[in-house]
Amino acid sequence: MAAKPGSAPVTYSPNLGQKTRPPIFKDNDLDWVRPDGRGFHQCRPAFFRTGAVNSASGSAYAELGSTKVIVSVFGPRESKKAMMYSDTGRLNCNVSYTTFATPVRGQGSDHKEFSSMLHKALEGAIMLETFPKTTVDVFALVLESGGSDLPVVISCASLALADAGIMMYDLVAAVSVSCLGKNLVIDPVLEEESYQDGSLMLTCMPSRYEVTQLTFTGEWSTPEINEAMQLCLDACNKLGKVMRTCLKEAASASQE
Amino acid sequence: MRGLQLPLSQTQRIRLQRALEKLQSLSCKANSDASVTVADTIPVNYEDAFLKGHGTTDLNGDLVATVCGVVERINKLVYVRALRARYKPEVGDIVVGRVVEVSQKRWRLEINFSLDAILMLSSMNMPDGIQRRRTALDELNMRGIFEENDVVCAEVRNFQHDGSLQLQARSQKYGKLEKGQLLIVDPYLVKKSKQHFHHLEQFGIDLILGRNGFIWVGEHVEARDSMVVDQANSSEQSMVPEEKSQTHTPLEMRQNICRISNAVRVLSALGFSIDSDLILETVELSSTVKIDIHDMLGSEFHVLVAEREAERRSLMGKRKR
Amino acid sequence: MVGLSVGEKHFIQGGIAQDLRSDGRKRLTYRPIYVETGVIPQAHGSARVRLGATDVIASVKAELGKPSALQPDKGKIAIYVDCSPTAAPMFEGRGGEELSTELSVALQRCLLGGKSGAGAGIDPTSLVVVEGKVCWDLYIDGLVISSDGNLLDALAAAIKAALSNTGIPKVDVAAETTSDEQPEVNISDEEFLQFDTSGIPVIVTLTKVGRHYIVDATSEEESQMSSAVSISVNRKGHICGLTKRGGVGLDPSIILDMISVAKHVSEQLINKLDSEIAAAEASEEES
Repeated sequence: MAAKPGSAPVTYSPNLGQKTRPPIFKDNDLDWVRPDGRGFHQCRPAFFRTGAVNSASGSAYAELGSTKVIVSVFGPRESKKAMMYSDTGRLNCNVSYTTFATPVRGQGSDHKEFSSMLHKALEGAIMLETFPKTTVDVFALVLESGGSDLPVVISCASLALADAGIMMYDLVAAVSVSCLGKNLVIDPVLEEESYQDGSLMLTCMPSRYEVTQLTFTGEWSTPEINEAMQLCLDACNKLGKVMRTCLKEAASASQE
Repeated sequence: MRGLQLPLSQTQRIRLQRALEKLQSLSCKANSDASVTVADTIPVNYEDAFLKGHGTTDLNGDLVATVCGVVERINKLVYVRALRARYKPEVGDIVVGRVVEVSQKRWRLEINFSLDAILMLSSMNMPDGIQRRRTALDELNMRGIFEENDVVCAEVRNFQHDGSLQLQARSQKYGKLEKGQLLIVDPYLVKKSKQHFHHLEQFGIDLILGRNGFIWVGEHVEARDSMVVDQANSSEQSMVPEEKSQTHTPLEMRQNICRISNAVRVLSALGFSIDSDLILETVELSSTVKIDIHDMLGSEFHVLVAEREAERRSLMGKRKR
Repeated sequence: MVGLSVGEKHFIQGGIAQDLRSDGRKRLTYRPIYVETGVIPQAHGSARVRLGATDVIASVKAELGKPSALQPDKGKIAIYVDCSPTAAPMFEGRGGEELSTELSVALQRCLLGGKSGAGAGIDPTSLVVVEGKVCWDLYIDGLVISSDGNLLDALAAAIKAALSNTGIPKVDVAAETTSDEQPEVNISDEEFLQFDTSGIPVIVTLTKVGRHYIVDATSEEESQMSSAVSISVNRKGHICGLTKRGGVGLDPSIILDMISVAKHVSEQLINKLDSEIAAAEASEEES
């Protein structure tokens, strides 16, 4: 396709068709098969481990499919900045991505808002009045991003806080749901997230049945909202049970 | 035992596993019912009047836990003792801390607690031993007594209204610690006992087990007044620096200090509670096995210590019956 | 990075002078090294190295790119280190940036050789696919998870292990290409080419405390240093890079002495590291 010298300029339209893939599904196509073979309402098996970082007050490592996160908690420590006496403690959250977390190196641009979202999700569950004048630092590091990153970060962070012995009303479990056409798929992977029409992320405290954070994107009708929220709450319950089992195992291992 | 980060060969792994399982079966089995995680309901007889203690809260009439730990009941008080939480100070505890700030009439010490502890000038003994009011000159001379980053041993005096601690160092045995090293372990490994100051005669070494998890291993210093020592030191410091090498710890004592510190490190890595008898046994074990001081931190020695402890506990259990 | 009292500093210096450090090591003994490979499955190669309480991860990713016009027959290698706040709260935000930059630059200096590419640990000419058009861009990322001194040595060891674990996909180039367009390349998913890591140097950091040098300083010992020199030595005993890490001025004869000490120590270190890497790869294949 080289332009011959002297002829009229040929519009060189690159053959984009080969580069981009056609949309994997069309509307009303119910035969969308998830890349890892799960059912629409099936979450990935969760693996949690506490005590991943020895130098922190508490830490946890979570692996859901290919999403891997490590969270460490420092504190309660004396608030360094000269702050006014406050009755409640301070929570400081920070979420960062490693450079090798995403398939394309150096992406991870969303993490600036993740820190504040993590903060909002956790502050409803921690009893801040039990550590006045001090600060608790929560640092999350995403080692591999495989979809549904923020919910995994939140669940892992609440495990790390429990490991550090910080008083909480309940563990926080988080799950997200993607809307692909007419289907609701729970715990989306990276590929599904890039094609989603709408999404919902819900974090709740399973035993108390309280929602600490909720975000919707996209257009939702009321019955869809109800269905999606119910789906999330069920999934959070199950996730909460898995987290408790992990804590119980860790507790029995360290008893002497 | 939090994530023992050691390369273990297959046989070592099996031996360690066996020893730890044995220990676990020996420790009170009743505890497994009482362990709770966050938001577990605590089984209580609701007809009896009970007091809600630390680590519990009320949820729709049920008593739930807010930390992971073990439920303890003392008379009517029900509380949850967290397994890995920060140090919980009690009045009269011996603690070892590091000075972080020298301010007016007081020092602020970091003691591995949420807040720093305060040591008032008035809670320290004065050099001449006479109890007198502190003058302005004493205040100016505070750095001569303790300056930043000094390691100090003191006792918990009381709690202040905002939750921070006040310390005192009125007796001869408290004060600045020099000529040794400070080790940091988890606070819950140091249990309250009658003696926290141990003078190990056979080594000539002082071992101070601070309840906050700071453990001091150093040369034995006669319990003198810290002030007097400092005045002597300040005249020493005006000497030429080369002469300081004369005051270095002799090699043999240093070897003993290293052995004891490594023993403490091994015990804390394995998660065993630390008391002086156990430390001495571990040091003996290392000498009988003729292991190099540095190799005490290797996997083989860790496995040996675990096995030895399992033996010891099972013997103790048998003796009790 | 806690401060130390005068008494403790004195004790540490005395120990080093008497060849018995606070954990019982001699001056030239390394802490036990523990290597794990293949920890990051989505990277082309990765490794995790634990040196006492220092814990670092290195990952290697290769992407196709265009070689620079100045050096059309060489691939590109970039090394970048990140100190995450999980290691210490002071690394949050800007705090860890200075340290990360210092470590990245030191590693680049030691592993990438001169501007012409001579003497590099990794031969950039082996990364080129089609000269002038297509080459591999190698991105090496280091992550500090837990810091207890001697980060540079640990990172260098991790990079060496990660590179021996790296498999670069084989590339088939379409034959019919003219001179001014991008050739089509077919990246194979099956076949991988292993790197030859025998030429990769290790870094030995010598910390001078008082009149003696120690290797593998913990963070307490590092706070006592009068100065430190990091020397990169390869298997042939040649120096591949040297960085003085701040502190007081050093007499040139001392520096030459340090270089010979580093050469001596590096032999044992290279052997130990190679055996650890081999063991790690063997256990990775089993699992």
